[in-house]
Amino acid sequence: MTGGNGLLAGKGQPGDGQAILEASRFSFWIDKANILRDISFAVRRGEFLSIVGPNGAGKSTLLKCLLRLHQGGRSEGTITVAGRDLGSYGQRQLAKAISYVPQPGGWIPPFTVREFAKLSRFPHASTVAGLSPSDELAVDQALESVGMTGMANRNLKTMSGGERQKAYLAAALAQGAGIMLLDEPAASLDPRHASELAALLEKLNRGQGLTVVMVTHDLNHPLRAGGLALVLAEGERRYFGPASGLLENGVLEKAFRHGFLYLDHPDGRGRLVVAR
Amino acid sequence: MSVPLRVTLLVGLSLAVLAACPFFGLSLISPAALTVPDHPDAEVFWRLRLPRTVAAFLAGAGLSLGGMIFQALFRNPLATPFTLGVSSGASFGASVYFWLGGPVLMWAGSLGPLFSSLLGAFLSMFLVWSITRSRGGFQTAVMLLAGVVINFFFSSLVLFVQYMSDAHDSLRIMHWLMGSLASVETARLAELGFVVIMGTVFVFSLAPQIDLLTAGEELAASRGVRLKTLKLEIFIVASVVVGTVVSLAGPIGFVGLMVPHACRLILGWNHRRLTPAIFFVGGAFLSLCDLASRLVLAPAELPIGIVTALLGGPFFLWILFRANSTGDLF
Repeated sequence: MTGGNGLLAGKGQPGDGQAILEASRFSFWIDKANILRDISFAVRRGEFLSIVGPNGAGKSTLLKCLLRLHQGGRSEGTITVAGRDLGSYGQRQLAKAISYVPQPGGWIPPFTVREFAKLSRFPHASTVAGLSPSDELAVDQALESVGMTGMANRNLKTMSGGERQKAYLAAALAQGAGIMLLDEPAASLDPRHASELAALLEKLNRGQGLTVVMVTHDLNHPLRAGGLALVLAEGERRYFGPASGLLENGVLEKAFRHGFLYLDHPDGRGRLVVAR
Repeated sequence: MSVPLRVTLLVGLSLAVLAACPFFGLSLISPAALTVPDHPDAEVFWRLRLPRTVAAFLAGAGLSLGGMIFQALFRNPLATPFTLGVSSGASFGASVYFWLGGPVLMWAGSLGPLFSSLLGAFLSMFLVWSITRSRGGFQTAVMLLAGVVINFFFSSLVLFVQYMSDAHDSLRIMHWLMGSLASVETARLAELGFVVIMGTVFVFSLAPQIDLLTAGEELAASRGVRLKTLKLEIFIVASVVVGTVVSLAGPIGFVGLMVPHACRLILGWNHRRLTPAIFFVGGAFLSLCDLASRLVLAPAELPIGIVTALLGGPFFLWILFRANSTGDLF
């Protein structure tokens, strides 16, 4: 942990060197059901990967596999994080490498924004002494990055969904990992909060070199933000490559089994997808 | 008022209750009597009332600790050592001891009830654990259901043992099931104190992980908590502490429900602060209940389990009625 802008461990130039997160021919079963088949992709440091696909395609399952959150289940193939097999990581070590923003909804933790962000320092804290000043600093920086400093003492239970999602983002950021995984972070947000969140993620990705892997239903987000896209359908990889590739060869039509219209964006920057 | 200040106040108040309780009873003992050599009141104070108050304090602390960690694990205020089968497992162990124990557990001597209760507590926890594991993973909902089932199962077994016992043993079992601190021998206090205090220290060391667990299991795992290990640790410490308390004082209900819930309302969910507060408040609470059990029907004594149940029933309803429309009980 360094001071100043060094909130994220292991910063580097975007896209340099080897893959920081890589799946190779990864398959996953729960009981007899084959949820993921032969998934391969690689993300390098500082890249932005959007995972899209229809409901039930296995997007959330893939995210959980990347975080080793699945209790039970059987897998084949490999996932590596910073070149090391995922299975070789200790739980705390993994938490220092990958942070997580869960899907919104469900149980709301009974903590203030600051308390919640402090919990994310667990992998760094000592069992006896608890949080050090550098942990407190990381929490302050994380709150600052998402503009939550003024709301630090608000309780998560009394916040709007949009504010709470920013608090979750701050908490994940406080984890100090180089990779962040997000599961439909904008799912229940109004347009203003959704675009604020998107802008925040882009800022963290470009400005701080955070590697972002995000499951999303907003097909226009990867088109606007650029970066990489992974299309899943029925547990299989249907496309992996630059996000602009989503517009070609009927990738979306085949994955979603639905028609799409492709328009020039009225602001003159890129293209826009609309479901028919 | 800041949370650390509230913790300090609660601990101070609890210690005051602990200090005051032995002076009250059927007759009031004046502190001055303690300074007079060979005063009969001093004898009552040192040999009867103080050990009993300490026993109540330790038992209350242990049961509250068990309630706190189960409520945190299941994120449900109704999940307590009682509802999850630890107490009924321990009760089963103890009643088997009363029924057959004499000859079978002769080698254990006066530790017989302790061993058989702990065995019962572990048996129930082992069953809950195995059922949960056999359903794949360690899902909390499965664990909760398994606990409820095991609780009913062991409660029925206790009735069965009672039915099979002769009138004398059956009466002993019944009396013990109502809970009493009168039967806690002074010699047992050291064991009780050791187990409850070690358990509290251990839980205190787990506090940051318990905080994360209350934020959500996936979230906790993503922050570096080894879920399976933590759940196992919680189960073992709850079984040992609650099993020990139950073996000595009987299954005193609702303490593990009321004290942690009330403390959370006052102090929030930071378990580094909650753990010491719940230890002291739980202890003071049961000391007061014990005092009430001695005074309400004086000179007869009301079983303490009845006192806590009479308080716990309305408390339980209060939790339900203040729950918001989303069914969020906390």
